[in-house]
Formats: sequence, C-alpha cells, structure tokens
Amino acid sequence: MDRDLLRQSVSYHGHTLFSLLKCEQQENPDFQCIAGDLSRTVQYRKERRVENVAVQQFIARKADLLFSPSWQSSTPSVKEETEDMYAVMPPLEQFMEVPGSDRRNLFFRDIERGDVVIGRINSIREFGFFVTLICLSGGLGRDIEDLEITALCPLRDVPTHGNHDDPLSYYQNGDLIQAGVKDVDRYHEKLTVSLQPSSLPSSLSHLKLGVIGVDDMPAHYSRSVAVASSTTETYEKVLKRTLGFANPSTVEFLLGKLGISETDPASLMRGLQTKNFLKEDYATSIRKKQSASWALKCVKIGVDHFKSGRHVEAMNEYNKGLEIDTNNVEALVARGALYATKGSLNKAIDDFELALESCPTHRNARKYLCQTLVERGGQVEEEEKLATAEGLYRKALALDETFEEAEEALQKLQKHIQKSLRLKEEEAAKEEKDMNKSVETSAEKLRKLLKEEKRRKRKRKRSSSSSSSSSSDSTLSSSHKKSKKRKKRSLSSHSHKKRSHRSSSNENKTFDSKEEWYPPPANTSASFLNQKQDMAKLLEGNVRVSSAKEGEVNHYSKRQDQESGIHQGSAEKSIHRKNSSSSAGSEYSR
Amino acid sequence: MESCVGLALKKPRLDAEPGPDPDTRTHFRVCRFIMETVGNKQLYQTCEGVKLGMCSEPLATACTVYHRFFQCCSTRVFEPYLVAMAAIYLAGKVEEQHLRTRDIINVCHRYLNPGSDPLELDSRFWDLRDSIVQCELLVLRVLNFQVSFQHPHKYLLHYLLSLKALMNRHAWDRTPIAVTTWALLRDSYHGSLCHPPQHVAVAILYLALQTLGVEVPGDGEREWWQVLSDDITKPAIDDIIVELIQIYNMDAKCT
Repeated sequence: MDRDLLRQSVSYHGHTLFSLLKCEQQENPDFQCIAGDLSRTVQYRKERRVENVAVQQFIARKADLLFSPSWQSSTPSVKEETEDMYAVMPPLEQFMEVPGSDRRNLFFRDIERGDVVIGRINSIREFGFFVTLICLSGGLGRDIEDLEITALCPLRDVPTHGNHDDPLSYYQNGDLIQAGVKDVDRYHEKLTVSLQPSSLPSSLSHLKLGVIGVDDMPAHYSRSVAVASSTTETYEKVLKRTLGFANPSTVEFLLGKLGISETDPASLMRGLQTKNFLKEDYATSIRKKQSASWALKCVKIGVDHFKSGRHVEAMNEYNKGLEIDTNNVEALVARGALYATKGSLNKAIDDFELALESCPTHRNARKYLCQTLVERGGQVEEEEKLATAEGLYRKALALDETFEEAEEALQKLQKHIQKSLRLKEEEAAKEEKDMNKSVETSAEKLRKLLKEEKRRKRKRKRSSSSSSSSSSDSTLSSSHKKSKKRKKRSLSSHSHKKRSHRSSSNENKTFDSKEEWYPPPANTSASFLNQKQDMAKLLEGNVRVSSAKEGEVNHYSKRQDQESGIHQGSAEKSIHRKNSSSSAGSEYSR
Repeated sequence: MESCVGLALKKPRLDAEPGPDPDTRTHFRVCRFIMETVGNKQLYQTCEGVKLGMCSEPLATACTVYHRFFQCCSTRVFEPYLVAMAAIYLAGKVEEQHLRTRDIINVCHRYLNPGSDPLELDSRFWDLRDSIVQCELLVLRVLNFQVSFQHPHKYLLHYLLSLKALMNRHAWDRTPIAVTTWALLRDSYHGSLCHPPQHVAVAILYLALQTLGVEVPGDGEREWWQVLSDDITKPAIDDIIVELIQIYNMDAKCT
C-alpha cells in the first residue's frame, strides 16, 4: 500500500477511519507496517466537516485496492491535439468565482519553470520589458487576467532579429507576447520570462514565442472571455454547446490524455481482480477449435466421395473445409492427394508443404509429399530440366531418408547428369579439337596452298587458265573438307578402338545395369576401318600431307595422353565418352 | 430457449438470510458475467493491433440495456443470461464495436461451463444463435427502440480535465484520481443507477476525492461540484454514493 496516499486519506478523515482501517485491514501485512506511522498522523489532523461513516467504511474495506501502488496512472500519451478533439473548457476557477487573493496564491504556488504565459507588454525599458499576464498556455488553464500579475523579460532573453540593432525596438507597448517562464520567486511573487526557445521543455517546443496575434490565443481563454461577459453561462451549458463534446472519439482521446488504460481496467470489485485468463478461454482460440472440428467433418465427407470416385464433390468438400478453417492440416493433405491423383502435381506439392508447415509430424503428409516429389521429378527429368529434378529428389530424400524410390531415382538422375555432363565435356573437347584442328588445318591449308601455288605457276606456264586453278582450288577445298572429316573420324575411331580394348571389362559390367539409359553402341569400329583406308589413300593421293600427318599423329598422341589421364577416373565416364564418341560418330556417319 | 444455457444457470441462493432479493442477486451475477466476458479480457484480444473487444462505453450500454429490460419484465419469464447475451450483441451494434454471435456464444458457454470443449457447430448451435437474435428483437421492442444512452463517461473525463487544471500538477500526479474514478464508474454498472449522467459523474468524482483524501483548492462562492452540474444538490450526491457503496457490498453476498 502506498504510504503517502494512505496517510493523506487518514489525515482527511481522522481517527474514525483509522480505527476502521485497523479493523478491516488487520491481516494485511502492508498495513501493519504503516499503522504506527498513521497513528501519529491522526494526532496532527485539523478538524473537518461532518464525517461520513459509510464512506469511511468503504475506504477501510477497499484500502488494499485503493492505495495499491500499481494504481498510478500510466504516463499520458502526448498526442497531436487538433481542434475539437474534446471540449476545451474555461478555467474552473472562473465558474467557482474564487476570490482573487486565493487565485493569486494558487497561481504562484503552481507556476513552474517551463510553463508558457501570454501577456501584454505594458512598458519597455533598457533592460527588458514588462508584461501583464493574461492567461496561461500550453495546456494549463487558470483565471488570472484580472490579477494583473506582471513579469519581466530581461534583455538577454529577447532574441535578436537580425537587422535590428536593439532587439527591443522590435516590440511596442500593447503587443501580445507568448513567453516561457524562466524563473519564479514565489515568496516575492516575481516572475521572469524569456523569449528564447530554450526556455521551453521539449514537449512544448512547437509553441511560438514572441509576438502573437489575437487569434493565436488558446481556446480556453477566448471561451472564458465569452463566459465572463455573460451572466447566464454555466459550465454545463458551455460544455454541451462546445463542438468538441460531440466528437465520438472524445472518450478514447481523453483516456489517453489522462493516462487511463482500457486494456487493463482497474476495478474495486473483489471478484474482478485480475484473473489469469487461460489462452483457451479467449474467443479466437475457441472459435479456431470449433472451426477445426467443423472443417474435419467436411473433410471426412470429402474423403468418402473420393473413395467412391466422385472427385468433383470431394474437391468441393475439401474447399469448403478450407474456407471454414484455412490451413486445416487434414483438409490440405486430402486435397493434395486429390490433386496428385488428378495429375496437378505442383498444386499437390504446395498443399502438402503448407500442411507440413502447420504440422511437421503429419505422417501421411510426409509420405504423400515424398511420392509426389519423386513423381514430379520424373516428369521434370523427361523435360530435361535435370537440375530441377535433382532438387526435387533431394528434397524428397531430406524429408524421408528411408524412401527407397527417391534414393534410386536420385542415383539414376545423378548418372544421367554425369552423362550429360560428359556429353557437354565431349562437346567442349570436340570444339576444342575442332579449334585446334582448324588451327592445324589452316596451317595445313597454308602449306597446301603454297605448294599449289608452285604447281599453278608451273601449270600457268603450261596453260594459264584461272578456271582450272579455281576449280582445283574448289576441289582442293572440298577435299580438304572431306579429309578434315575423315581425319576426325579416324581420330575418333582410333580413340574408340583404344578405349574399347582397355575398358572392355568395365564396359560389360556397367552396361548391364545401365541398359535403359544407353543404347547398345553400334558396332562401328569395322565400318571406320574401311574408311580409314580410303582416307589414307586419298591423303596420299591428293596432297602431300606428311607434315600435316605428323601433326595429326602428335595431336592424336596428345589426345591419348589426355584420355589416359581421364581414364583414371570412373569407368562410367569412359562409357560416357564412348557413347558420346559413338553418337558423334553416328552423327557423322549419317 | 436453449437448454445448454438453462442447465448451466446457477440457481440463486434461496437461503433465508436478509439481504438483496433473489432477483437482485441474479442481476448482479449476470452483470458480473457481462463484465467478465466483455469488459475484461475474454472477448477482448488484440489481433494485429486491432482490438476485438469492448471498451467502457459499450459495456455500459450492454448493462444498461439489461437493467432496463428487467425493470419491465420478470426473470421468471425470460432467461437472464440469454438477455445478457442479446444485450451484448445489441450494444456492440449500437456503439460500433461489433461482436459476432459465434464468439459471444462460445465465450458464454465457456464461462458457464469452465474448461469445456467448444460447442459443435450443429443445429443446436444455430438454434441458440437464432434465439439470441430473436431475443435481441424482443429487447428492442421492450425498450421502445431507445437504445442510445448518454453515459457519464464523457462528462466524467471532462470534469477530470478541468479539475486537473485547478490542482497542483504534482499533487495530481501522485494521486490516482483518474484511475479510481474510472474503476468506480465501471463497477457501478453491476447495479442500475437511475440518475442523470452528469450527476453520476459528479458523485463518482466526489467519492473518489473523498476516498483519497484530496482537497480541491479554491474556496469560491460555489463548490466545484455545484459548478460542474447545474442542478445537482448535495443530497443527490450522497444518495448516489450510498447506492454505489451498496453495489460494492453486494459483491460479497451475491457471488
């Protein structure tokens, strides 16, 4: 219990309250500590008016609640106050007709540094100017106009206005000034004000200090003027007449302004003291449970439809269930299964994943998801999107490590990928070869051309016809092309033969298991042999390509080295190579 | 009238001890039921910052509707809890803080049968919902469709502001006047105070100041409470305070 509050109350009410308190709050340990303190307070209390026993009894009974420290208001939220958020009333003092002396006392008791006052300049001196206060601003409201309180604004607190040498010359008698209180001498009833913005606290820093117009006067002042001029105005009348009073959001705004909380409302009823409401008692959780069980019913009906083959009705039931309870796990799983059966695998996957998000331990969801992923992976593989397929298989495996189909499919896929990788490598190598070859063939060409030139010169001496040279050129070029091709073929056949010798054993093993992937290689070696002989003849016949052949052989040996190096890799690769070469060969043979 | 509510209704204690009559006790209990389900926390949660509960004014409307209904009708004819549910539903509409019947039914069922499973959404449930809606229409007719009330809340808040301006700011800050008055006002709806809203507000403020031992500064020609309301008198204030204290006394006897 808050000691000060209790003391305040007891000193107000006197010893009757104290004795009642002792009676009612005997068991309260807090009270016992304070009791000694309170007895002293009671002695020093002044006499009061009539005592109301019922009220005192009420206080005594509720003392532990009333004076609990947790009842302090929360700090009021400082919100932007637009006009008419609530009814701004003239000061209560005015209605109460409090005598001037009292008001003066109260004013000097309560005014503090940082408050904002409005006054009229009544005299300007060298050291500053004097203002007669009219009213308070910035949230305070007192009726002080007729008290003729003056305040001094010293020179140093008058901000300079740039051009003016003497800041005071900016001001004249009779100007309305808004200023911040800088210093208060309560005993002598003297006030010092300042026009510097630094004299205001941060919450009031938006107020403009200095000369203001009549329109800038606070609302409560203008209203109090109106009230003063009329004899029939009462607080209630003014309140009801003010537009702000009719604002529907007044209550909410003022609760914030006064620091009263609606989220944790206080009560003096014993029965309403903060209970711990279980989360299950909240409306949303009850509703969720209810929706879930209703949705489940729909799903059951849907599953019946599904089993009897009525897919459309089943889908309707599932969708209905999901409308009632979005992300209902059972409904999602059932719908996913339906999608998978119908073939919309992507939608099925989405549903299963959503279901697993809410309930990661759902067995069926996992199972179905794995199956669907694998199936989808198969589809995607056929479309040659191998990376996606791999991702899908891995996902399925991640979900369920024991899922054999996924494991197998993944392995198949990996081989497929490697095969295609090798294919690509071969392509790349071939391109490289072509590049090299083309480099060489161009060197070759050059030599040939040079020789031809010599021949032509000799020929020209015999018969200078451009057509023959051009035709020979063309024949030469075509033969070049042919020879190029044949050389390629020879190389590949060489490599093919070599490899077949080396890795025949491996070949057999791997072949059996990979039958469905790799078509059995055509028995192409023999066909190439014939061609090779033809080619050799051609070569010898047409052009002296000894140097070129050398180059060829060198290249071939280089290639062999390369290949032998690679051979140290897996047997599978060789088969890939073989097949790629054979396929390449078959391309050419076509 | 649904049996689930009827069965769960606690029978009023029929002991011979002197005190409030059974009806008053029932009403107190039902209002407590409204307060707990609506006013405090059960129907009230934050959902992404948007409140789905009721503030003090709609709560006041619900209780006022309930009290006024039973001023005309008898508890023997109409089931009080059903009327309370209808009152909650109606108040939500009047004060623009709509509550759904499904939520109202769920929470009320839970209140009356603590720890039970949510009701199945079967035909029984929908019958219950229908009975609430029909009861709502009945309540409207009994009240002659006058369901928008002037509550003391607005008056009280303005009075608090004016008083705050009058007092020393530090004295104000350390005495929980505002919170106390608000608590008193909310609790007052356990019973029915048939007084003008300004009077109720002034009386509550008066009681709060008395309990906390606060002296309002300024000895003017008129007292502060005379100023706040044109036609209030000290006896009127005293009457209201007495009624208020009696409502608190019922707390121990009725629950």
